[in-house]
Amino acid sequence: MKILAILKKELQTYFFSPVAYIIFASFLLITGYLFAVVMINTKLATLEPMFGNAAFILLLASPLLTMRLISEERRSNSMELLLTSPISPVEIVMGKFLACFTLYLVLILLTVQYPIILAQYADHLDMGPIYSGYIGLILLSAAFVSIGLFASTLTENQIVAAMISFGGMLMFWVFGWVKYALDNPLGESLAQLSILDRYQNFMRGVVDSGNVIFFVVFTVLWLFLATRVLESERWR
Amino acid sequence: MIEVKNVTKLYGNFKAVDDISFSVEKGEVIGLLGPNGAGKTTTMRILTCFLPASSGSVKVADFDVFEDSMEVRRRVGYLPETPPLYPEMTVKSYLRFISDIREVPASRRNERINDVVTRTGLEEHYTRIIGTLSKGFRQRVGLAQALLHDPEVLILDEPTVGLDPNQIIEIRGLIQDLAADHTIVLSTHILSEVSMTCKRVVIINEGRIVAVDSVANLEKQGEAGNIRRIVLKPASLDWQAGFENIPGVRIEGVATEGERVRFTLHTPDQKSYEQAFTTAAGKGHIFQEIVPARASLEEVFLRLTRSDDTSENGASQTKGGAAQ
Repeated sequence: MKILAILKKELQTYFFSPVAYIIFASFLLITGYLFAVVMINTKLATLEPMFGNAAFILLLASPLLTMRLISEERRSNSMELLLTSPISPVEIVMGKFLACFTLYLVLILLTVQYPIILAQYADHLDMGPIYSGYIGLILLSAAFVSIGLFASTLTENQIVAAMISFGGMLMFWVFGWVKYALDNPLGESLAQLSILDRYQNFMRGVVDSGNVIFFVVFTVLWLFLATRVLESERWR
Repeated sequence: MIEVKNVTKLYGNFKAVDDISFSVEKGEVIGLLGPNGAGKTTTMRILTCFLPASSGSVKVADFDVFEDSMEVRRRVGYLPETPPLYPEMTVKSYLRFISDIREVPASRRNERINDVVTRTGLEEHYTRIIGTLSKGFRQRVGLAQALLHDPEVLILDEPTVGLDPNQIIEIRGLIQDLAADHTIVLSTHILSEVSMTCKRVVIINEGRIVAVDSVANLEKQGEAGNIRRIVLKPASLDWQAGFENIPGVRIEGVATEGERVRFTLHTPDQKSYEQAFTTAAGKGHIFQEIVPARASLEEVFLRLTRSDDTSENGASQTKGGAAQ
């Protein structure tokens, strides 16, 4: 499978270089610090703040993790290799997406220590919001990776790719903020596009199929657009 | 094997390639020759399905590069101008990755990797990280990549650029080996490379084909045959007049080296040359060197790639260079 070949190559790039480890370390340092301080002071057996913090850190870190996915191939001319090999843009995009998504899954897996620690101290830990929070975090990661991957197909400059994906993610993050100013159907429908509002539902323990579908469609849409950009090289 | 028909490639308003047509037979080695920016790389990118042509059609192994791009890609090995490498990978993991995306069957993978590693002389560097390899070895890894799936057609974009003389000789030897069972298109701006490796040349300038011919024919095209570089030990000071008394004979670029003179002798035909020789010998001048000057590919190339008003200049520059 050629998707697997790309996936394997990308994972090697992440894990054979310091990139993955630096990301893991700083992510765990920040989430761990906030988790410890919040838990000690509030004495609440909830992971809701952790999910909020994790999502916010991913918002900041995602452009850095995704910016090189395609841009780097363009800059180092290896795009010429991929596009003259019998491999389709769909396979390239899926391989890259799955590799970066795997990195996020490992990152999320590492945060499982927090509910385990919490369970040591809590008399009665409500597992519902924790499961739903993890479902939300995984869906959010997929969405972030796909939008970053799309931005990376647009340019050979990694900084530009990072700025585009950061701008895009932030836009979808803040869409909901206008609903207080725009108290009308327009504000309501704009708020529907907000990934933050939808993610907060997961944090509170609500797994709404509408929200799940939103994240899946969001991810697939950006991956589809990324594929189209790569395909357009052939007739541009 | 390769059919290029009326291909034009536009970048905006700039015509990188302008209505070129040529064909390559199975098993042939053809050289794309031209100054930098002539359209060689663009042509090769169109052949390898990396870029689409703006108009015209290209068939490789009877498949259209646009309609049946995947079939073409399976049959073509391509070494781009900059070898497409991942500096953080080892040669080993890189070649394994290539064998996956190039659809080398798992059963033949190790055999193929061993074969190309031996052919390109990478055995000792097999486990090294590509980023630490020298330019010459990176070029070899690039070549190994192009050969890995045992393609029928090889397209090599300036395969020897940036290598040292030893490496150039090795890579040329490798290309000559490969020529036995591959169809090869290679581009270069180094003329001697073409005469060494290719039988036929396509000369491109400013996006147009200015000549398609065999190397031998192109060399004949010049006014070769009747130019000789001569070193003479004259018996008297008026030696030059003795030659120039014969109708049509010219002497150029005279340089005196001690008691010897070095010059270029132009004669209209063989007969007048023989006459000049016997006359001079009769007067006691001693010929120490006679080198028949073939019009080098260089001169042909300069003549073809310069526009008319500058061609005079170009020709005299070459002659001046030869006399020094």
